[in-house]
Amino acid sequence: MKVGKWKLLLPLALLVVAGTVMTSGAFATNAQSGEVKVAIMTDCKGAFAFGYEVDTAGVIAAFSTYAGAKPTNKKKPSAGMIGGRAGGKKINIVGIGCGDETPALALKETRRLMNQLAADVMLGPLSGDEAVAIANYAKANPKKTIIIGTAGSQDPTMQIAPKNVFRYHGDGAQWNAGLGEIVYKKLGWRTAAIIGDDYSFPWTSAAGIIADFCGIGGKITKRVWTPPQGGDYAPFIRQLPRPNQVDGYFWLIGGANTNAGFNAFEQAYGPVSAKQHSGNLFLYFLGADSTVAPRLIGAYFGGFGTAQTGELKTAQAQKYVKQAGRWFPGVADINDGFFYNYWNATWALVQGLNNAKPKGSVGAALQAALPRTLKPAFQVANNGVLRLDSRRQAIQDQYPLQIVRGADGKPTNTIAGYVANVDQTFGGYFGPNKPAPGRNFPPCVKKKLPWQGKIKVVKNGVITNQNIK
Amino acid sequence: MTHDTAKVVTERAIGVGALVLAVLAPLLVSDFWLNSILTQGLILGIGAASLIFLSAYGGMISLAQTGLMGIAGYALANMVTQRVPGGETKGLLLGWDPTLSLVAAILLTVGIGLVFGAVASRSFGIYFLMLTLTYTVIAFLFVGSVTLIGGFSPVAGVDAYTPGFIGDIVNDRDRLYFISLIVAAFVYVLIRYLTRTPFGISLQGIRDEPVRMASLGYNVAVHRTLAFGIGAFVAALGGVLYAWWFGQLSPTIMGLDATIQLLVIAVIGGLRRIEGAWLGAIAFLVINNEITNRIPSSGLPVIGGTFNTVIGVIFLVIVIVSPDGLMGLWDRAWSLAKRGGPPRETPGAQPAAEASSS
Repeated sequence: MKVGKWKLLLPLALLVVAGTVMTSGAFATNAQSGEVKVAIMTDCKGAFAFGYEVDTAGVIAAFSTYAGAKPTNKKKPSAGMIGGRAGGKKINIVGIGCGDETPALALKETRRLMNQLAADVMLGPLSGDEAVAIANYAKANPKKTIIIGTAGSQDPTMQIAPKNVFRYHGDGAQWNAGLGEIVYKKLGWRTAAIIGDDYSFPWTSAAGIIADFCGIGGKITKRVWTPPQGGDYAPFIRQLPRPNQVDGYFWLIGGANTNAGFNAFEQAYGPVSAKQHSGNLFLYFLGADSTVAPRLIGAYFGGFGTAQTGELKTAQAQKYVKQAGRWFPGVADINDGFFYNYWNATWALVQGLNNAKPKGSVGAALQAALPRTLKPAFQVANNGVLRLDSRRQAIQDQYPLQIVRGADGKPTNTIAGYVANVDQTFGGYFGPNKPAPGRNFPPCVKKKLPWQGKIKVVKNGVITNQNIK
Repeated sequence: MTHDTAKVVTERAIGVGALVLAVLAPLLVSDFWLNSILTQGLILGIGAASLIFLSAYGGMISLAQTGLMGIAGYALANMVTQRVPGGETKGLLLGWDPTLSLVAAILLTVGIGLVFGAVASRSFGIYFLMLTLTYTVIAFLFVGSVTLIGGFSPVAGVDAYTPGFIGDIVNDRDRLYFISLIVAAFVYVLIRYLTRTPFGISLQGIRDEPVRMASLGYNVAVHRTLAFGIGAFVAALGGVLYAWWFGQLSPTIMGLDATIQLLVIAVIGGLRRIEGAWLGAIAFLVINNEITNRIPSSGLPVIGGTFNTVIGVIFLVIVIVSPDGLMGLWDRAWSLAKRGGPPRETPGAQPAAEASSS
């Protein structure tokens, strides 16, 4: 046979084989009544790609603690788990979604997980705009249940708020409650500029900071928004007021880009002064602990509603350290808000399946049975009980944090204050009939927030009755 | 029966068979396959058809088609969605009549396409490619940067506001499938018809010999501009369907990845025959879906990499083994089976660069 014929017949044969294998799934059915199908939605690409194993570890560790599962591989959470039952049914993790923080891919992955792989419940997503997209998907798919993993945009449980979406942690605004008041009182800031990524999570983060800082009398003089995919920050840094024109800067640039933003700032204005910089969780978490934090020893920042495990001397926090820390030692940091929030989402799911009528039901029965209260590690108010509001959004305690130097000389963080029962509306500042946070919303106005003047001092891990002055 | 006639008869029989299967598809395949593979494949195929039309008959490989699809989708999304409690939170939320919005979105896209086409009409080869890529990048950055029309967050709820003749596509996804099928068939017939009109024939003449056509009195720039406008119209049809299919739009639907994806679809299907658009789209989506399900997100064993690695290898193999894509493979298989010799060139389907160098 001539070479030319092989060149044609070989690809044709390959095409037939590949086509047969690949289209075999078109006719497959997924009927299995003895199990609950769970999907994990996280990112494996983009700025938050490192969340893939951490998020999955939170889920597997919680199933291992509360549903009798065991990790398949303690060095690799995404390898899955063995066993696991809740509500009398086997828990089957049908897939782990691979997003890149963009809503389009999150939606495609959600459809694959929920429609093709027929998951009943999704634990996720990781990022703000992804959660907006998935909340809209949930609205059109009421039988599917979404328990948000660790996304902090406001819209999914405020303006969109479908009945099948639950969030057992704060949004980006809640995660910054108290921060504005602390820099106002402790650092004497009266004016500040904001620089952040141009999408829903930083907008929501900024909303919390603005509400708090302006609420007590501060002024935001400039808001600069940068493309979320990163790039050259120099032009945006130049849009900020110079260091001698403003008391401080709030940073909301995320993931791997935080360091690039600070590098551009230093190239423009010289070394940064920690007293002049604050921001959301991006200043310390998600990789910034080794790149940004060393330059900002002493700076205050928001968080995930978490504190360093072991620092907070409450029974719930100590119990969490023991329970969560045993499954993936050295692989997943249980301090990480990614781990903690996926853990709590999974724990709530197990409770929901156990309480559903009949047990192990999914759809509306599961949604009715998902707990409206939870006792997560870092909740102290209400005797340690976190409550969901009427839109299934957590009302949570918040811990503004401070970057400090640890005993080993490396940066670590410590609790800078305690804010009890932070609700998503900030006492009516935000609401379902108000616009979602954006580039220019909310405006900077003086307003009394529920916790204004009541942020507690935390000493040696113990919350005191003394207010921060 | 001659060799060519037999091939035409065979292709028509396959076409009718494919159409019958397509009509019966909701009874044959799972809901996911119908929605995510076939419906999406038909829609992306329409986008790829606009690219193949410009390439095969106008000698213009345009990377603007993704941008034009996105413009149509974004225009529609901003016009039809409205602010309601528990509703959408991004975009202009104009709340216009869905039928009016549909027509306006298509007309706007065609208008922008004509402007784009006029600017690019005197560019050829790599310069045309770069210019059209610039259009898509501009569109991507514009919708991402102007948060008033959406920004990087999704503009949602597009599928909830459809004209009465389209109906409820949120709860009845079969309906969207059949609408996509009808539009795809319309686009196919339209392009086949256009290529036989005096305009289409002169366009092919311009593709092969622009200088000679100009010397014969044809206005090359106007022909190329009009062709680009027609490509924009087809892309706009794909764009509004894509907006309905997605339900919510974010700028990444016209990002660089999406642009390359449409080009890969066209190359896999075959840049010389319009049928290749849908063949390439469905092949691409099937590969994407199966790779994502079968390979862990952490990557392929040993070599690492995920879907992009696999599709990159397939792309390379196709370019080497069959530069005309799957449709080219079919043409060659037919020639081999019937004559035992090399395939005949499809008449009148040479890219301009090749033609002008001969």
